[in-house]
Amino acid sequence: MLESFSRSTARRARRQYVGMMFRFMGHALEAISRFDKTVIDEASALPEGLVFQMTVLPAGPSLAVEHTGGGSLRYLGSHYQGPVDLSIRFKHLAHAFLVLSFQEKTVEAFANDRMVVDGDIALAVRMTRILNRLEAIILPRLVARRAVKEYPSELGLLEKVPGAIGVYRRVAFSMIRDLRKEGLSQ
Amino acid sequence: MSRYYEFFCPVKVIAGEAALEHLPYELTGIASVRPMIITDAGVRAAGLLDPVIAACEESAVTIAAIYDEVPPDSSTTIVRDIANLYRQQQCDAIIAIGGGSSIDTAKAVNILVSEGGDDIAAYSGAGVLTRPLRPFFVIPTTAGTGSEVTSVAVIADTERSVKLPFTSSFLLPNAAIIDPRMTLTLPPHITAATAMDALTHATEAYTCLAKNPLSDAYATAAIRKIGRSLLAVMDNPDDAKGRLDLAEASTMAGIAFSNSMVGLVHSLGHATGAICHLPHGLCMSLYLPYVLEYNLEDIREPLAELLLYLEGPEVWSATPASRRAEATISAIRHLRDELHHRCELPRTLRETGKLKEDQLDAIARQALDDGSIIYNPREASLKEVRSILDKAWG
Ligand SMILES: [Fe+2]
Repeated sequence: MLESFSRSTARRARRQYVGMMFRFMGHALEAISRFDKTVIDEASALPEGLVFQMTVLPAGPSLAVEHTGGGSLRYLGSHYQGPVDLSIRFKHLAHAFLVLSFQEKTVEAFANDRMVVDGDIALAVRMTRILNRLEAIILPRLVARRAVKEYPSELGLLEKVPGAIGVYRRVAFSMIRDLRKEGLSQ
Repeated sequence: MSRYYEFFCPVKVIAGEAALEHLPYELTGIASVRPMIITDAGVRAAGLLDPVIAACEESAVTIAAIYDEVPPDSSTTIVRDIANLYRQQQCDAIIAIGGGSSIDTAKAVNILVSEGGDDIAAYSGAGVLTRPLRPFFVIPTTAGTGSEVTSVAVIADTERSVKLPFTSSFLLPNAAIIDPRMTLTLPPHITAATAMDALTHATEAYTCLAKNPLSDAYATAAIRKIGRSLLAVMDNPDDAKGRLDLAEASTMAGIAFSNSMVGLVHSLGHATGAICHLPHGLCMSLYLPYVLEYNLEDIREPLAELLLYLEGPEVWSATPASRRAEATISAIRHLRDELHHRCELPRTLRETGKLKEDQLDAIARQALDDGSIIYNPREASLKEVRSILDKAWG
């Protein structure tokens, strides 16, 4: 009884963690695409209006972003239901947790068949590079090394710290705004 | 690595002497008596259909239709035409005879004749198919692509000028029939280029991120056969045993890479093929040594292990452990030079005479967006990819 209670609590915590990370990444992608040149260059080659979704089978959590042109990404929220051009779907919540808790690199997850890609594979490759760049900038170096294949050698502290602060500040603002909205609507 | 992996290959392999004559039994065993052959004009001209037709004549099987005009780059229109022929002639199975293009075309035709309709584009993508297709057999006539054991097909949509990918394990044939008679007449430069494709499949499967113990076994066995038989077959094209070695190696390398994927050599090869129409196997031969050099520090251990399979136990034991990875790269360069010596297979991009140096930037950019780059052990930047191309230019 006690055991099954704690197991379900752990599961709920894992689901909440994945949901929170998706939400954080969604806001962070939007923020980073406003000022990081590498991300802007990568993203501007995506078709305008492209909607990218990262989700967990069978029913979420998920995150969706849209390329609004010129390399800008817009976070569409965690409950986006519209048409999707490119999706990366984790086969199970446990696999999403491995990646989002930095126990498995995104590329390892690809290599280990943890997820299903639907859409143009060239765009998926590009999106993976954008996610890698995001992780390299916002995560502490030690954690980032575990998350990406190769930590960018040119990414010095000068670029990293202001970049990370910028992302965190924007993300904090928009997450607080979201929470307020959700609080008001309830 | 390989904390977790998946491995799948449900294709029956029918290989060796008089393998073709097993085809009628396999067909009737699943109640197929009116197969259609899908092939290209070169295969027919080389007389390679004759032994297949002869094998069926003394059986209950009737070849109900033959389509022998598959071009090197097949298209959605051709797939539709062949599907119509299949329906008109009331065929009940497909036999693909040829290289990558005929096999990919046949996979796509099988989707249409099984699922119905005329629009193959509707089935493009991953996981669209949800049930088994019609009986399908593959008889490879080149020893390289491994398409007989891969669950993908690529067909050009000429009207919209895009390449449509199809991915599903239902595309796999019921059986692959590997008969040394089918590759005996391959011209030397095609033998060389396709064998280098197989060598690259095995080498990348063994050194890239998705490697696993099961695909490793197939990859090393393939490399051993290529190391032992490629130059022997180049010197003596009628060497049936050597031909069978290369054909088996190609299938084994195909099983390895369809489970472990390939890396940067293929990203570069796909981009070069798309931009300059250079044959795929030749691209593999041009890029393999330079990509291995680029990846070296990340793949030192597996690359050192490959020396044993490529060069044999004497060379392996005579080479100090710390030099084995470099020795594997030297052995591959040596193989490339020997092939140039025997059939003038180009050693550098410049020697192909098919592209200009100012196309290298475009190739580098396109290679960065190729799906197989995900599995490369090193995260290659545009600058790094460009410098590999400079080395391969010569
Ligand atoms: Fe290949």
